[in-house]
Formats: sequence, C-alpha cells, structure tokens
Amino acid sequence: MDKPLPPLKPEFLAMMAKGVSLMLCSCDPALTPSVMRAVGSRIEDEGRRITAYLGRAQAAQLLADIASSGRLAAVFSQPSTHLTVQFKSRRVRIRETREDDGPHLEAYLRSMEQEVAAVGFAPVCAHALLAHAPGDLVAVEFEPDEAYDQTPGPQAGRQVSAH
Amino acid sequence: MNAPLDLARLERGSMDELRPALEGAVPAVMATVAADGTPNVAYLSQVHHVDERHVALSFQFFNRTRQNLLAHPRSTVLLVHPIGMTFYRLHLRYLRTETGGAVFERMKAQLAGIASQSGLDDVFVLRGADIHEVLAIERVPVAPRPPGLPAPQARPAALPVLSRASQRLGAARTLDALIEAALDVLQHELDMPQAMVLIADSAAGRLYTVASRGYTPSGVGSEIPFGQGVIGVAARAATPLRINHMTSAALYNQAVLGGYGRDTQAEIAYPGLARPGSQLAVPLASAGRVVGVLFVECGQEMRFNHEDEDLLVALGGQLAAGIDLMHESEEPCGTESDAGAPQAVAPAAAPLRVRRYRRDDSVFVNNAYLIKGVAGAILWKLLTHHREGRHEFTNRELRLDASLGLPDVSDNLEARLLLLHRRLTEQCPALRLQKTGRGCFRFDALAPVELVESD
Repeated sequence: MDKPLPPLKPEFLAMMAKGVSLMLCSCDPALTPSVMRAVGSRIEDEGRRITAYLGRAQAAQLLADIASSGRLAAVFSQPSTHLTVQFKSRRVRIRETREDDGPHLEAYLRSMEQEVAAVGFAPVCAHALLAHAPGDLVAVEFEPDEAYDQTPGPQAGRQVSAH
Repeated sequence: MNAPLDLARLERGSMDELRPALEGAVPAVMATVAADGTPNVAYLSQVHHVDERHVALSFQFFNRTRQNLLAHPRSTVLLVHPIGMTFYRLHLRYLRTETGGAVFERMKAQLAGIASQSGLDDVFVLRGADIHEVLAIERVPVAPRPPGLPAPQARPAALPVLSRASQRLGAARTLDALIEAALDVLQHELDMPQAMVLIADSAAGRLYTVASRGYTPSGVGSEIPFGQGVIGVAARAATPLRINHMTSAALYNQAVLGGYGRDTQAEIAYPGLARPGSQLAVPLASAGRVVGVLFVECGQEMRFNHEDEDLLVALGGQLAAGIDLMHESEEPCGTESDAGAPQAVAPAAAPLRVRRYRRDDSVFVNNAYLIKGVAGAILWKLLTHHREGRHEFTNRELRLDASLGLPDVSDNLEARLLLLHRRLTEQCPALRLQKTGRGCFRFDALAPVELVESD
C-alpha cells in the first residue's frame, strides 16, 4: 500500500502524541496471536509513522511473529477517557534502539505516570508496567494502513474518517 | 517463517495465582486473528473465572473479535496482576456461547453494574457468555521491579477467621443468635460493616430481610423478588455474585425494586447503600436448595476479591445448614426459658389500634404499616388468642394452623417469627414476642389493644 492514510482526527493524534497505553499484536504461521504491551511510543509525521518500543524478553514471540509475517495490529488507548484507536500495518520494520529514542521513552513514562494516576494507581505502577531490563529494548517502526475507532460504544470498530 | 508458538515451552502459572489479575483493575486485552491473517487487539471489560480450565468472556457486540473467534477460535489474552504489575498471557480456545445458566446470569448482573457506572446502560446488553478453554497460563518474564511498589493490603487470614466463625455459629441455639453471630463475624473480623441476611420465601418467589448491619433504618422485612438485582439474581441462579465497579449501580437494584410493590403502603424500604462501589451476594444453600442470601456491600470500589467470595461461601454454607436446622428442630418446650416474668398491661400506655387487611394479611398499627403475609397472619392469630388471655404458644400449633397459609415444604416458620420479632422491636415495642425455649415462645401486649379487620 503506497497511498498515505488520510490525516487522523486531532483528538486521536493528540492522545497518541501525549503517550497512552499501547498494545501490539501479530501472529505465527498457524494464526496463533501474540500480544504484548509496548513500553514506549514515538509518533512522527502526524501519525503516518509510529514507533513502538518492546522488551525483547517479554515480547519474544510477538517480535518473531512481526518479523516473520511483516504485519501487526496496534491499539492506543487512554485509560482516563477510554478513547481508543487501532491501526493495522503491513509496513513494519524492526530496528535497534538509538540514542534519539531516549527522550521519547522518558516522555512516555512521564505521561503514563499521569495516566495511571488518573485512574487511581500510584505513579510508580507505571514504572512497573513499563519495566524492562537495560539494553533489552527493541524498536518496531510501522506505517498505518488502516485505522479504526475502538472507543467503547456503538461506534466501536468504525474505520476512522479523514478530518 | 518463524516456528509456531509451542505452548509446552512456556513458563506456566496456575489459575489460582492468576485470579487477582481477572479482577480487571488493569484492563485485559484480547488478541485474535482473521482468517486472512490480519491480527486484531481489543480491550475486555472482564475475564470471568469459570473453573480451573475455563474462562468466560462477555458477548455484547458483533465486532471484529467475535468474527475472528467464530472463524478461528484461538486467542491470546494479556492480563496484568494488580500486585506488582506483572504480566500473564492466557492462551485460549473458544468453545461455545451460553445464553442461560449460572455463568451467564452472573455475567449479566455484573455487566449491569459496570454499564450503569459508565452511563452506557442501553449499549451494554449481554447477548451471551463465550466459554473459552484455557490452553495455557503463561507467566511473562518479569523485568526488574521498581522500588516503592505499593504492598498488597494486609487481609485477615481466612482459615483462622473461618475457624472462629464456625465455633460461634455452632454455639448458637436460636436462629436469631445464629444470624447475629454471622453478622458479627462480617463486621468485626472481616471489616464488612454493611451486611444483610435475607431468607427465601420460595412460594412467593421473594427474599425477605431478617437482619442487617450498618443501615438506618435496618430494612428488616424489606423484600426482593427472585431474579432481580444482585441479591435476587444470586438467589435465582444459586451462584455468588460479586461486582467491583458499581458506583451508581444502585440503579440496577433500586430500579428493580422500584418496579415492585412501590404503589402500596405495605412496603418496607430496601436498606442498601445509595452509591455502592462493590457488592457481594452469596446464596445460602442447604440440602440442594437456596434458603437465603448473605449480602455485603461497600462504598469503595474493588473492595471484595475472590478470597472474600470464597470465605463468604464457606461461612454461608454453615449459616444455611443452621437456618435449616433451626427450622426443623421443634421439640416441645425445654426449660431454657430466658423470658422475664409476664408483664401486666401498663394502664397509662397508649392504646394500639391494630388493623388487618384480609387480602394480603397486612397489619397496620395506629395506621402505620407493620408487616404482611405469613408473618402478618401469625401476628393476627397471636393477638386474637391474646385477647382471650393466652400468652404461651408453640411453633407446632402455628405449623398445624391451616389459616396461616404456610406452604407445606420449606416454610421456614422460625425465620418468619424472627422477622416478626424484629419488626415489633423496631416499630411497635408494646407488642412483644419472646422465645421461651426451642419451638415455643411468649407473646405479650404491653398496652390496650383494639382489633379491626378490613377486606
């Protein structure tokens, strides 16, 4: 797919840029799904390029499945508002983390401290949710092919329209 | 192509260690795959424990997850344990959808609680309970923990509490003492200050409150139809019901209660909290039937966990057996009388005008509603005999009195006498009912009484 996705609704883009819960999923050749929470995210070019950071030890099968199938699903969700958007991508690249990823990981952690606090958890719980061994991180870069609004309610599942 | 996931190589956990993660403190996500290999992730409201090998998920929408499961039943659920924030992956295979039975009823009531909290009542309709086989519980490798994680809340050790509770319940010689012992344990040992015991009236299809703690007024005598509200559903489905996110889900209970009998004066208000955060209703089962419900609630959310539920089920078992036993043991009067000497009618006491409506045996004292049904009929019988100078009565003669309309089986006369005793104590202390031994009691009127009947 070469056609760029239409621009995202500003509310989704703002939420993603701030840093909210991010789940990634792929599958093996037998269509067995693999899933893990990302420990950080980086949004570029108004959501046309997204980087998710995963701990290798915790996401071993997921990373193998992404590498093998070349596809993934990614869900951003804000705990305090339940605002949720899902992306599907067949344009995925796994790379080592770089020095310029550091500030994005740090900003993501700060944002998640606020997000968990907003739903009644101690900020330190964000550190536990996103914990990873030093040097264990890997970056998964993808360009969304499709986007769906998955905020709970009757509209859940609708393809996101251009705005 | 990478190798397919090999479940045998995963580090496995047990359902017991996983149970706290099913509470949904941190929402779970479910990953599925479409037939063409497109992966999908969706948030779950709650993963319901069914047994060691099965869980249930709510079927509410015909969404992508459901389409995927019908085409390819294999899914993977990511869960977070609330203590320490560690991850588990649940490897599942979808088996079937149930649209009735205990699991479905339990989920339906829980969903109603969650729905009323989120203001999505009309959207949250449970179409079915999707039963999944648990293929494996995978412990996700734990990354280094940050210091300063909140410690798990200290809770009383369940077995010593149960042991003390068992001794107390075993020592109770009356239904009153038995129920008070159970409420004492809840209040003082388990820090559950809001509690009720309701007894089933199977013939009428209702439960009536015989005792409560932590409510003003007590609500003794209030009724809940079987199958309605958290309490009624727990009784009908004979399954414990635990709701941890309710806030305004009194809506569920109150709306239900509002639909029943509010048009009559002969109604005692249900005593529940206006804004409960958590509720737990445990059916009291004995000899294969539900004799009542033990109910606790709290303003705080996430108050009751699986362990609390297990504990109340165990406590409820002995309470239920005791209720059954008290009902059956009706030997002639013993010598264990603890009643005081008969009290003469105080001449200065204000006279009581007692009116009975034959249509439903409701009894009003000085125009205030007191009680109805079988308990109302019993009171009327006692008052008419009392007018002739009788004070001593036996359960047996009440049981044999066809005019009282007691059902033949499981009438639980003892519970009705306890209800009458409590209503009199609260609303009309001048009429006094006292147990004088097993299967016998004394009835006194401490004021002049005028009896009036209406249709």
